[in-house]
Amino acid sequence: MGFTTGKIKKIIFVVVTVIVFSIILFPPIFLFLTSIKTELDALSFPPKWIFIPTVKNYVQIFKTSSFLRYIVNSLIVASTNTFVSLALGSLAAYGLARYKFRGSENLSFWILSIRMMPPVAAIIPIYIIMKKLRILDTPWCLVMIYLTFNLPFIVWMMKGFFEDVPREIEESALIDGCSEFDVFLKIALPLVAPGLAATAILVFIFSWNEFLFALILTILYMKETGINWGYMTAGGILALIPVVIFTMLIQKHLVKGLTLGALK
Amino acid sequence: MGRRKSFQSFKRKYAWVFFIAPAVVVLLGIVIFPLIFSLTLSLHEWNIIRAGGWTWSGLENYATILFLDPYFRTALKVTFLYLLGTVPLQFALGLMVALILYRITRKIIGFLRTSLVFPSIMTPIVVGIIWRLMYNPDMGMLNYFLKLLHLPPLNWTGSPLTALPSVMMADIWEWTPFMALILLAGLQALPQEPFEAALVDGASQAQVLRYITLPLLSPVMIVAILIRLMDSFKTFDLIFVLTEGGPGMSTEILNYYTYKYGFKFFHMGYASALSWLLVVIVTVIAMILIKTIRSRGIYAAGG
Repeated sequence: MGFTTGKIKKIIFVVVTVIVFSIILFPPIFLFLTSIKTELDALSFPPKWIFIPTVKNYVQIFKTSSFLRYIVNSLIVASTNTFVSLALGSLAAYGLARYKFRGSENLSFWILSIRMMPPVAAIIPIYIIMKKLRILDTPWCLVMIYLTFNLPFIVWMMKGFFEDVPREIEESALIDGCSEFDVFLKIALPLVAPGLAATAILVFIFSWNEFLFALILTILYMKETGINWGYMTAGGILALIPVVIFTMLIQKHLVKGLTLGALK
Repeated sequence: MGRRKSFQSFKRKYAWVFFIAPAVVVLLGIVIFPLIFSLTLSLHEWNIIRAGGWTWSGLENYATILFLDPYFRTALKVTFLYLLGTVPLQFALGLMVALILYRITRKIIGFLRTSLVFPSIMTPIVVGIIWRLMYNPDMGMLNYFLKLLHLPPLNWTGSPLTALPSVMMADIWEWTPFMALILLAGLQALPQEPFEAALVDGASQAQVLRYITLPLLSPVMIVAILIRLMDSFKTFDLIFVLTEGGPGMSTEILNYYTYKYGFKFFHMGYASALSWLLVVIVTVIAMILIKTIRSRGIYAAGG
C-alpha cells in the first residue's frame, strides 16, 4: 500500500516538474521559432507550428542594420571591462582577504553596498559629467561605467575564493624572500584560477547584458516605425548565444554569483 | 641590517594599502564623487536643455516631491503594488518548486540548474522582447491560449487595467526560477541529523516541514527575499520594453519615474533628488541584507 502511494506521489512530482520547466522554457523557444519564420508566418494567427524554417532574418540583420557593429562594440566593451575590473578587483580582494587591518571588514561591506545601489542614481551625475567632458558617445565611457557595478562584485566574489585557499603556502613563500606582490601573482592567483575564470565569465555576462547604461549613453534606440519581429527575435537569439554558452561553463558558481556571495 | 629588517616589517604591515588602494581610488572616483555631485545637484534647480546655470533651491526639490507632486505618489503606489504582486508570489512559487525538486532529486543536475538559472541570467532586454511577443494582441501566444480556452482576447500591455499585472507576470516568470534555485541550494546544504532524529521520533511529513525544514531554511529565505526586494526597486528593462511606463502612469514605478525626469524631461536637479530618495530606500534594505549576511554564515550547496 505504502509502495503505491509513494509511486503516485512520485508521478505527481514529476508531472509538476515537467509543467514548471515547460513554463520556463516555452517563451525562449517561441522566440527562437519566431526568429526562423518568414514575416508572413510570424504574423499569422493562430501561430503556425509547422512551417518552412528560414535563416533570412539572421542574414538580413547582419546585412542591413548596424547590428554587426553593435555586437562588435558590445564585445569590445564587455571584454575590456572584464579585464580592467578583474585586475583592480582581484588585487583588492586579495588585500581584503589576507590582511586584517582596522576597518577591513567594514571596507568590504562598504564595497558590497556599492553593488546594491540603484544604477539610476549614479547614471544621472555620470551622464552630466561625461557630457561636459564630451566623451558621452565613446565606448570608453561605457567601460568606465560598467566598473561601478562590476568592480564591487569582483572584489566580493574573489575575496571569498582567496579566503578558501589555505595561507600556509603563501606564508612559506614570504619567508623564502618573495615579495608580497610576487606571492599574489605567482602563488595565490593560480590557486584561485577556477574561481577567477567563473567570476570573469559572470562579469562578462553582466556587461554584455547591461542595457540601461548603453541605452542612455550611446542612445541606441531600437524604435522604428512598427516592429520587425523577424529582426528583433533574431537579434534576441544572437544576444543570448554567448550567455547560454557561458552559463553552462560556470554552473558551479552561479548561486554564489547571483546572490553576490551571500550564499556560500 | 636592522634598518632593512624594520623596512621589511613596515612593508609587510602596510602591503594591504598597495593591494586595496587602486580599487578604492577608482570607486571613489566613479561612484562616490558622482553621488556627491548628484546630492549637490538635488539641492539645485537645473534643466539641462535650457540655457542657464544651476539655481540654488535648498530642499525645495525634496519638499515638492514629498508633499506636492501627485505623480510621485502615483509612482510610489505603483511601486508598492509591483513589489506586493511579484516578490511574495515569486517566493511562494519558488519555495514550492524547490521543495518538489528536492523530493525528486537530492542533487541539482545540470539541465535543471541551467533551466532554472536561465531566465534570471538572460539579457533583460531579450526577456522584454520575448514577453512583448507573447503579449502581442494580434499574433501573441497568450491570446492564442485564451482563444483555446474560449475566452475573449485581452489587450495585455495596452490597457491600463491589465498593463501592470502583465509586467508583473513577466517579472514572475523571470525571477521565480531564481528563487527556486537559491532555496533548493539552501535545502541541499541543510544538516541531515535533525531529519533523521525526526524520523526516529515518528514525525509526520507535515511536522518535519513545519518544525524542521522551514526554520532551518529561514536564513536562506530571508536572503532570497531581501535580494529580490532590493532588485525589484530597480526594475527598468522590462517596463521600458513592454510599456514605457504606460498606459498613463499605470506601470511607472519610482525607478522609471526618476529616469523619465532625467532623460525625458531633463530636470536634472529634480531627478537627482528623486534618485536620492531611491538610494535611501534601497540602502535601508541593503543594510538589513548585509546585517543578515554578517551575523551568520549562510550556506547553500555549491550549486
